Amino acid sequence: MEAEQGLDATLKRIEAIVAALDSDSLGLDEALALFEEGVGHLRRAQEFLAMAELRVEELIGRGGEEVREFREPGQGDRDAGDDS
Amino acid sequence: MSDGTLDLFRDAPPGDDGEPRRDGGPRASAQRREPEARSLPVPHVWTVREVNRAVRLQLEQTLPQLWVGGEVTNFRRQRSGHCYFTLKDDTAQLRCVMFRREAVRLPVDPEEGMTLRVFGGLTLYEARGAFQLVVSKVEAESEGGMWKLAFDRLRSLLDAEGLTDPGRKRALPAFPNRVGIVSSPTSAALRDIIAVVGRRAPWVRLLVRSTRVQGQGAGEEIAAAISTLASRDVDVVIVARGGGSIEDLWGFNEEPVARAVAASPVPVVSGVGHETDVTICDLVADLRAATPSAAAEAVAPDRKAVTRVLEGLGQRLGKGLAAQARSRRWRLDQVGDTLFRRGRRRLVASRTRLDTAGARMSGTVRSRIRHESARLAEAAAAMEALSPLSTLSRGYAVPLDDEGRLLRGVRDFTPGLDFRLRVVDGNVPCGVTGPAADAAAPVTDSAAPEETGSIGHGS
Repeated sequence: MEAEQGLDATLKRIEAIVAALDSDSLGLDEALALFEEGVGHLRRAQEFLAMAELRVEELIGRGGEEVREFREPGQGDRDAGDDS
Repeated sequence: MSDGTLDLFRDAPPGDDGEPRRDGGPRASAQRREPEARSLPVPHVWTVREVNRAVRLQLEQTLPQLWVGGEVTNFRRQRSGHCYFTLKDDTAQLRCVMFRREAVRLPVDPEEGMTLRVFGGLTLYEARGAFQLVVSKVEAESEGGMWKLAFDRLRSLLDAEGLTDPGRKRALPAFPNRVGIVSSPTSAALRDIIAVVGRRAPWVRLLVRSTRVQGQGAGEEIAAAISTLASRDVDVVIVARGGGSIEDLWGFNEEPVARAVAASPVPVVSGVGHETDVTICDLVADLRAATPSAAAEAVAPDRKAVTRVLEGLGQRLGKGLAAQARSRRWRLDQVGDTLFRRGRRRLVASRTRLDTAGARMSGTVRSRIRHESARLAEAAAAMEALSPLSTLSRGYAVPLDDEGRLLRGVRDFTPGLDFRLRVVDGNVPCGVTGPAADAAAPVTDSAAPEETGSIGHGS
């Protein structure tokens, strides 16, 4: 799925396609093209759900202007082998 | 002063270190100046400072820190942060001071006439000779104490402004892309949220803004963290903290937090404390979750639920296409024989395209397509039923030449012509054997085959 677009936007697009197919002002070509577009979105969304891995980031700096991968403070020490 | 008391009229006043002067004090020097004392001794004169110091030390050394109960009056919080008030009962008053360091921990100023118990040490303010209690703790006698008073007071303020109004609560986004979290970076609350979102909706991106969640100034930090996150590209913010005493949770009961939650442009979910702890943050938030984990569950849609939504959409896509096919069938039903043929070609073409599209699709969608193809076949069958063939079944016959053209009138039947009669169950070979036929009046009866063959008028 379009990562920039997000799941919500993709689902909204499919909803819009469904609504269009429910109207009777479409030509057959148009209907089929929309249908295929919708099915494509569905398939990519399913892949996206299946492959996603959680990302946790944090805002740092006084005004939170910087983003970095979140690490729990002290986690580095434990990772260094101090797991007694 | 074996018992720790000081005889102000006999002993020397204490020095700056609190111990009696060993040089004998003012009296000793007076004696030195006047070695031959008269019969009336010169009275020993204390300085005011000496007296006050002596009394202060006496008070501080002889009375332990103690709890004092009474009604509060004239509570004043100075610009310096120090608080002054008087405790009184029916017959007596006691002046009290609470210095800034302790006073900042007071969640709210006590109300006039409130019954308090205060803890502190008695002393004398030497500069004014004022006897007073230096207070380190204040508790209200009423249930819930000062915390409840502060909570209720802020709550009524927020209620009056409508900030706790249920009608103000915003719906959470059904499928958030990015979730902001305000929490302590080392808290179990944060670990719980990360675990729940990772399990349910790993495609969601979490953005943490670390903050202190208890102690002096926590409220302001929490509020700032909410504003910072909300100004970023997040769809919803979770404010989280594990359980604790009311004092631990107090940051979430402070006005800046309430204001930041109310001002947030995106919905805020409050997951603070345990199920039984209700904070001001909970009341203003768009959703109050009982725990941090519950907050995460409320925000992150379950993968299975999303899959169901996708499947539902797939079915609706199929239905939409089927409706398109049906509406075409209805329109085909309205047109005649010619259009019938053309329509059938279109249906066949549609079916081919559906099959092609279907080959590229998976699962439910493909079965949906098969289903729709079957429907299209049904539609075709329905049209067959309305074709001229149904008229033939009523006993009519259609003469056709060997190229399948309809022989419409006398002039079409030239002598010697071989033709066939299309009847309901087949063709009958025929020939024109006689001389040229006479033309009669044209038949305009609506029962004529070429007329009733018009689909849509034939019923």
